[in-house]
Amino acid sequence: MTLILWTLAIAVLTAVVCSLCGVFLVVKHESMIAEALSHAVLPGILIAFLVFQDRTSPWLIISAGLSGLLMVWIVQTIRKTGLVDGDAALGIVFSALFSVGIICANVGLNRVHFDSHCIIDGNLAMAALRPFKINGMEIAPHAFVLMATVLTLLVGFIAIFYKELKLMMFDSALSQTFGFRPAMLHLVWLALVSITTVSAFEIAGSILVVALMIAPPATAFLLTRRLGIMLVISSTIGVISSVIGLYLGLWLDIAPTGPIASVAGMIFLLTVLLAPRQGVIAKFRRRGIQRAYLFQQLLLARLDGDDKNWVDNDALANAVAWTDQQFGRTLSVCRNRNWIDESSSGFSITDKGRDYLVDTMDRL
Amino acid sequence: MLDFFNDHTLRTVCLGTAGIGAVSGAIGCFAYLRRQSLIGDVVAHSSLLGIMVFFLGSYLITGEGSKSLTVLIPGALLAGVTSLMLTRWILAQTRLKPDSALGVMLAIFFGSGILLLRWTQRATPNIPGKRGLEDYLFGMAAAMTNSDLWMIGVLGVSSILVMLLMWKEFKLFTFDPVFAQSTGLKTHWIDTLMLLILVVGIVIGIQSVGVVLMIALLVTPASSARQWTGHLGTMVLLASIFGAVCGGVGSVLSASFSNVPTGPVIVLVATVLFLVSLTAAPRRGLIARMIKRRKLEKSAQVVAAGGNQ
Repeated sequence: MTLILWTLAIAVLTAVVCSLCGVFLVVKHESMIAEALSHAVLPGILIAFLVFQDRTSPWLIISAGLSGLLMVWIVQTIRKTGLVDGDAALGIVFSALFSVGIICANVGLNRVHFDSHCIIDGNLAMAALRPFKINGMEIAPHAFVLMATVLTLLVGFIAIFYKELKLMMFDSALSQTFGFRPAMLHLVWLALVSITTVSAFEIAGSILVVALMIAPPATAFLLTRRLGIMLVISSTIGVISSVIGLYLGLWLDIAPTGPIASVAGMIFLLTVLLAPRQGVIAKFRRRGIQRAYLFQQLLLARLDGDDKNWVDNDALANAVAWTDQQFGRTLSVCRNRNWIDESSSGFSITDKGRDYLVDTMDRL
Repeated sequence: MLDFFNDHTLRTVCLGTAGIGAVSGAIGCFAYLRRQSLIGDVVAHSSLLGIMVFFLGSYLITGEGSKSLTVLIPGALLAGVTSLMLTRWILAQTRLKPDSALGVMLAIFFGSGILLLRWTQRATPNIPGKRGLEDYLFGMAAAMTNSDLWMIGVLGVSSILVMLLMWKEFKLFTFDPVFAQSTGLKTHWIDTLMLLILVVGIVIGIQSVGVVLMIALLVTPASSARQWTGHLGTMVLLASIFGAVCGGVGSVLSASFSNVPTGPVIVLVATVLFLVSLTAAPRRGLIARMIKRRKLEKSAQVVAAGGNQ
């Protein structure tokens, strides 16, 4: 395979892994964990890199995972003292750990491959260059093997514990009564999230991990209420944004991270506007249709309730007191559907109109 | 490397950063008490897009990208406010929870900000003035000029003035928004005003702390101050003192190493202050708690011994 195809494959795998993981974070209102973890793993990565001087060493991932867990532990400890509000504790701890990482990167590793470019943007463009070797044979890029492993792990975990995870996410107390040990499962789940963050961090950098973990799942959240479908939609959107973003990055000749993140964000915004049922435009149209419907019924009811057979235009307009536009439109719809008759002395309701009115009133 | 800066520059930078720390610390108290720390994080990240758009705008108009804060801060303010408004709109229109909506804002605003930043750095033909744009990520206080200080000063002082003028309203709304509304306050406007001041408190720090770590200068001094007192006025005062110390010490420290961004150093100073506050503060602090528990145990033993006799 050519280099660009490998890069694409790595980007797609990373996107799928992150957006699968993120669905559960979004559903459980824990999205900010992604932001915090993606910052907190940095010192772990850098310290392991300083010690082993090898970017592909598995120790990088282990040590980064440990610093992620360290953050979770410190935040839990501070929360337990009750002295600092939870969100603030998260913010304090992850920015402190991230600062340690940045200072390490600038003091110890200057002009090595870990500059602040890497930390923010990751290294997707270079990821395909480092091969993974078995018996000296180059099989696939290291990052590809890594992300494929994480994906297998993640999909396996979700498939095996789907029921338990689902119950834990939506009703932790019920899960406890069933004897599923939600607290334990949650911890395992967080460990898996930090493994994902760590493996994606080197490739995707801190922004993209957050973007891919939140934007595609949030988009899927708007499109369906079923968890299984949400997982499918979320990973599809992750794939679409990584493909578009990668080519956008190539076209602009920059690291694909920023483009992928912003494409994922734009897809979200488009979905907010265009989603078939919950979208802003759909809601607006639905409201418009309902309003028109109500106007028609009010007009018919007014004509039906009148003793006189014919009501002239001005009297009708005064009685309903709508704007000219609303009145005119309602009148023309009713006329087109033969619900009202028009003569020189005004309007009157037809039998068809009366039937329609009675019918809708019955339905209410 | 201290010789590199003549005394005057270092003094300007140190005073400027201390001032920023004081303002952010004071404003951060309200954010902390209203549990809006993560909003602050997202606003700070989002401001990068505004910085980049206004930088490129100044390039298109004058032919050279301006890094003067008089140009960039309005952009940062605009982006921060836009991201907040967009979050509100999304929360009103969908059934998403605030954490996800804010996360998506990060993707949109910070993602596009980074996109523009990297493009500007790589663009051919060369965009004049692009050097040093990277500093807005992690802060480089030494790059501050006198006109930047003026801009920061005017914004900082006016936001503190607004805070003092609206003190009673802010206080009431922070601690009991429902009651505040029932007394006839226009809580919607107070909320908007507080968010606006929060955005100001964030964007004045973009130069010295950077967009990525600005949340710490907002929240850490406030959380530290909270440990020492239960009184809002004292807390705001303490937080601004803490913020000033972090800013001043951090900028001097980072200036004495070469090539270390200011932001992380300031954040670490703030973290140390936070840890000290957490352990050593009277009454609430961990040591004070331990002493209290010891005393309680002792008196319990005395009572138990008395009961046995």
